[in-house]
Amino acid sequence: MAMDWMNKAKSAVKTADPLPSRSGPSFGSSSAATPTASNVRVSNGLKEFLWLISDKKGGRLLDLGPAFQTTIMFFIEKGFKLSTEDMLRSWKEFLTEEEESFRKASVGSEAVRVSQASLAEKFLKTSVVYPESSFDGIMAWDLFDYLDAELLSRVMDRLYNLLAPGGSVLSIFHSKTPDRYNRYKIVDGQNIELVSAPTIAVHQRIFQNREILDIFGKFRSSKTFVGRDQVREGLFLK
Amino acid sequence: MWGKNPEPKPNTPAAKAPEPVAVVPPKPPVAAVPVPPPAPASAPVYSAPAPQMNATASRVGPGLKIHGVISGESDLIVEGETNGKIYLSNARITVAKSGRVQADIEGLEINIEGTVQGNLKASDRIRLGAASNVQGSLITPRFAIEDGARLRGKVEMSRPGEMKIAESKPAEKVAAKAPETKVESKPATDNKGAATVPAAPSAPTDPNLRAAAARTQGN
Repeated sequence: MAMDWMNKAKSAVKTADPLPSRSGPSFGSSSAATPTASNVRVSNGLKEFLWLISDKKGGRLLDLGPAFQTTIMFFIEKGFKLSTEDMLRSWKEFLTEEEESFRKASVGSEAVRVSQASLAEKFLKTSVVYPESSFDGIMAWDLFDYLDAELLSRVMDRLYNLLAPGGSVLSIFHSKTPDRYNRYKIVDGQNIELVSAPTIAVHQRIFQNREILDIFGKFRSSKTFVGRDQVREGLFLK
Repeated sequence: MWGKNPEPKPNTPAAKAPEPVAVVPPKPPVAAVPVPPPAPASAPVYSAPAPQMNATASRVGPGLKIHGVISGESDLIVEGETNGKIYLSNARITVAKSGRVQADIEGLEINIEGTVQGNLKASDRIRLGAASNVQGSLITPRFAIEDGARLRGKVEMSRPGEMKIAESKPAEKVAAKAPETKVESKPATDNKGAATVPAAPSAPTDPNLRAAAARTQGN
């Protein structure tokens, strides 16, 4: 099995864009943006992810990053159905609203500061809510580093349930504390663009390889790629 | 180990059930205010300009709230609040930055700059501006989203002819049980007459081609 993985991975790396494009009109093209070379990096994780979903034409994907035209069109043109939900931004807004409601609560009222666990529970009642096994692939991007432990464990359970058997998760981890906060935009089948963005969440921790494997413990298998920029891309298969 | 799994995959995220809406008996538009065409938005990524509205576009002005179903042929600009449904199959619909819409929207072109909770269905194109915040599914043959736009939902590309077929049948069904439309207004602005058409349900066709099914039998 390991050899099978290795061989397939090699062929996937050789094939820059293994998925056929969907014909038809496109309003705004995935090549509309012209990223500068400095903020584009080769993504082995993306290449591998594309290979894993390549036989699921018409399949469903979930993008937990911000909605970028290029990313959406990239998958739509290949015939996938894409759902997007900027989870980190939703989490930040949720916390802001909670904070606001606590502030408004009068002194002596029953409203007390709730635990991180209850906040996480409450957040997930309205976020990332889909039927089980809805997706063939989930792009989490730069997410897990920014979630506190209580939310992280619940999110992992949720994502596992959302994935169809054989589905995969693409995620990014930092091997050192990042200088700035980036969002990720797909440029093509093997490159992603780092888009600087205002920090919307505090970088919680740096995961060691073993810890990454632990939080994805339910998954069947995993594979990580570490780049020169100390960014670790991970692929996890249900 | 890393082979593709053959199990069938369920469906799509649950779509929000449209709320029953109160509707007024159909009446002609109170005052269709001509609106000058908006200036094209500057967009870093998006190459196409914002859709131009024609001179007869109607407007739900700021401070105006409409509960119910909006239908007809005129282009529409929403700067206030709208709950219910917006069904303008041959018209352009714009939700301005100040616009707040809790409704399914169907139209020829849909241009969102404000906040929308509901499914969008356009037979020509959908454009989400940089300040837009949309929760709901998008079905359209052409789609553009500016950086900074927030989208929480599903994006599906349809073929140009698909929507026309889907929208005619439900229109007739619901027209019979049209409830009343309730219009709340602070400053008097214009509103449109009512008719009733539900958003045509998006057909969740999910042809799950799993070519490598046999490979994973052993996993």
